[in-house]
Amino acid sequence: MSIAFDAKGEGLAIGIDLGTTYSCVGVWQHGRVEIIANDQGNRTTPSYVAFTNNGRLIGDAAKNQVSMNPINTVFDAKRLIGRKFSDASVRNDMKLWPFKVRGVGDKPMIMVNYNNVEKKFAAEEISSMVLIKMREIAEAYIGSVVKNAVVTVPAHFNDLQRQATKNAGVIAGMNVMRIINEPTAAAIAYGLDKKGSTVGGKNVLIFDFGGGTFDVSLLKIEEGVFEVKATAGDTHLGGEDFDNRMLDHFVQEFKRKHEKDISNNPKALRRLRTSCERAKRTLSSTAQTTIEIDSLFEGTDFYTTITRARFEELNMDHFTKCMEPVEKCLRDAKMDKSIIHDVVLVGGSTRIPKVQQLLQDFFNGKELCKSINPDEAVAYGAAVQAAILGGEGDIDKVQDLLLLDVTPLSLGIENFKGQMKVVVPRNTTIPTKKLRLFTTVESAQTCIKFPVYEGERTIAKENRLLGTFKLKGIGIAEKGVPEVYVCFEIDANGILIVSAEEKSTGKKSKITLTNNCKRMLCNEEIKKMVKEAEKYKSEDEENKKKLEAKLVLFDYAYNMKDTVSNLSKLNRADKKKIVDAVAKTIRWLDENENRLAECEEYKDKMTKLENICIPIFTEMYKGAS
Amino acid sequence: MGVDYYNILKVNRNASEDDLKKAYKRLAMIWHPDKNPAGKRPEAESKFKQISEAYDVLSDPTKRQIYDLYGEEALKSGQFPPPSSSRSAATHHPHYYNHHR
Repeated sequence: MSIAFDAKGEGLAIGIDLGTTYSCVGVWQHGRVEIIANDQGNRTTPSYVAFTNNGRLIGDAAKNQVSMNPINTVFDAKRLIGRKFSDASVRNDMKLWPFKVRGVGDKPMIMVNYNNVEKKFAAEEISSMVLIKMREIAEAYIGSVVKNAVVTVPAHFNDLQRQATKNAGVIAGMNVMRIINEPTAAAIAYGLDKKGSTVGGKNVLIFDFGGGTFDVSLLKIEEGVFEVKATAGDTHLGGEDFDNRMLDHFVQEFKRKHEKDISNNPKALRRLRTSCERAKRTLSSTAQTTIEIDSLFEGTDFYTTITRARFEELNMDHFTKCMEPVEKCLRDAKMDKSIIHDVVLVGGSTRIPKVQQLLQDFFNGKELCKSINPDEAVAYGAAVQAAILGGEGDIDKVQDLLLLDVTPLSLGIENFKGQMKVVVPRNTTIPTKKLRLFTTVESAQTCIKFPVYEGERTIAKENRLLGTFKLKGIGIAEKGVPEVYVCFEIDANGILIVSAEEKSTGKKSKITLTNNCKRMLCNEEIKKMVKEAEKYKSEDEENKKKLEAKLVLFDYAYNMKDTVSNLSKLNRADKKKIVDAVAKTIRWLDENENRLAECEEYKDKMTKLENICIPIFTEMYKGAS
Repeated sequence: MGVDYYNILKVNRNASEDDLKKAYKRLAMIWHPDKNPAGKRPEAESKFKQISEAYDVLSDPTKRQIYDLYGEEALKSGQFPPPSSSRSAATHHPHYYNHHR
């Protein structure tokens, strides 16, 4: 018997947009979605994790130190999650990453140096660290523990990538209530599921143009079912490419104006790139902007202006390229652009006026959905879904939303000819129950084997085998006479139970295919990763204490140094005593700059220094009074 | 006697496509497991499965015709005279023979 419990007793459920370059978290509170800012005041957090000799950094802190520690700063984990090391995309991406990736049994592992030890992490573990950060951001805002979350993934993610994302949640110690598609989340954010009911459903195009990836998805929304009709895009096109174009342009300009080449100076390039990114953002709202960098290269200042027209000219080929996936998506879905009801903008790069204009022109002047901050639309929708699943159903706004999950792939059984016989077609809403009749192919056959597959190919072997079970003890009969009902049942959590029952004898047999059998990680591995995640968390706390102890010592030493140098009343011998002790402490701090010592060591040094300084000062003040 | 899909969706036998859609949406809102507290979920889940099954059959003209003429058993077993529509070609071969291996 199950026990009823108040879902609200588990605390609020949050929605997380776990992005390739940035992540965003939202929560449904006081009747609306609140996008939560992190401790730096930013509403999106870099999906970056850095490993240093002074501990682990996640988010802004990790991204801020990337140029100093490129090989141990991990990002783009989303490009690895749920993939095999031998995948072509992994091979190509690896060439672009400064961090090392190695294949361990065809699973890509990220190699980093953490606290002077070589460590390897699965993409799930890196993503779990980002999830932990997003959860902490939410907890700090809400003021209580958060256990449950809805996490989004791209529509083109396959089952393994979705499972791996769920596992990242498990490793982070969270309950991922549901994985939903990013375009679906964006459509929910705009309430497109309920705005006017159109016969035959609504067709929505989601144009998601972010920092590093570009995704176009075509959704059909009908009766709460969000069906992904087609997806297209470019896995390596985004805002960073526009920054690069502007950077090249200014490097040339600097060369022309000052006859100096800065292209081999990483620091100058980095400063210029930062300015370019800022200029790009400004140009989305103004027609012209300036770049002013003092002493950019060999003491030469760089002052220049750039117009929006020039920026567009520099990137025109990128912009026009963006329209190709839109056309492809429509083609794949066999839809004409005239029957698209809504076009939704997601991702920072959709703020660029030229991109909006090209898209609007393509759809013959159609108004675009852009009222929600494009960086936050996905997290916004995820937060709405989290509120529904978390039992916040008393709120009008979420009450009439029902997001029906569908099977992304067809499920079926291999017949004796090796064909895939579909029992549950793809896009069937779950939970579901489907029955099919099977029989024997030989006379006096007493056993039937049922190999269960998922996939769209007609040859069963070309699909993915989920499991096999047998029904034995079928009554002796002519071939084709026994009636065996095979039942596929999928519950709301996606757990599939396949059972078979022979009508005349009542013999039964079944197999339960939990998501475990689809996992790339076994339960043992996940348990190990959960333990390690907890260990890293306590290490983070330990490191924080060490860092605080270090800072106390650091402050005290420098404080003494200043004080002593300004004091004339102190006799020379005492002054030398303090100066020497302070110098010794500072030297020790310098020597250990790249490593955190134990708290005790700092405290010990601190006590020693105090034992020298305090008595001298006490004496001095006594003498003075 | 098989299941009465019309009764499950609470519509009459000549319900239009639009009627079915409305009925399905209304009932799905009530019975989807996401819309029910944990204690009520198993019951809701089985109800939802029935609703989905009923809607799946009645919203497909071919399946609805077979159901109207021959009942629910015929749909599941595929044992019915082939309808004139070519859409149901796949269901013409009701038996998925499986080898003893």
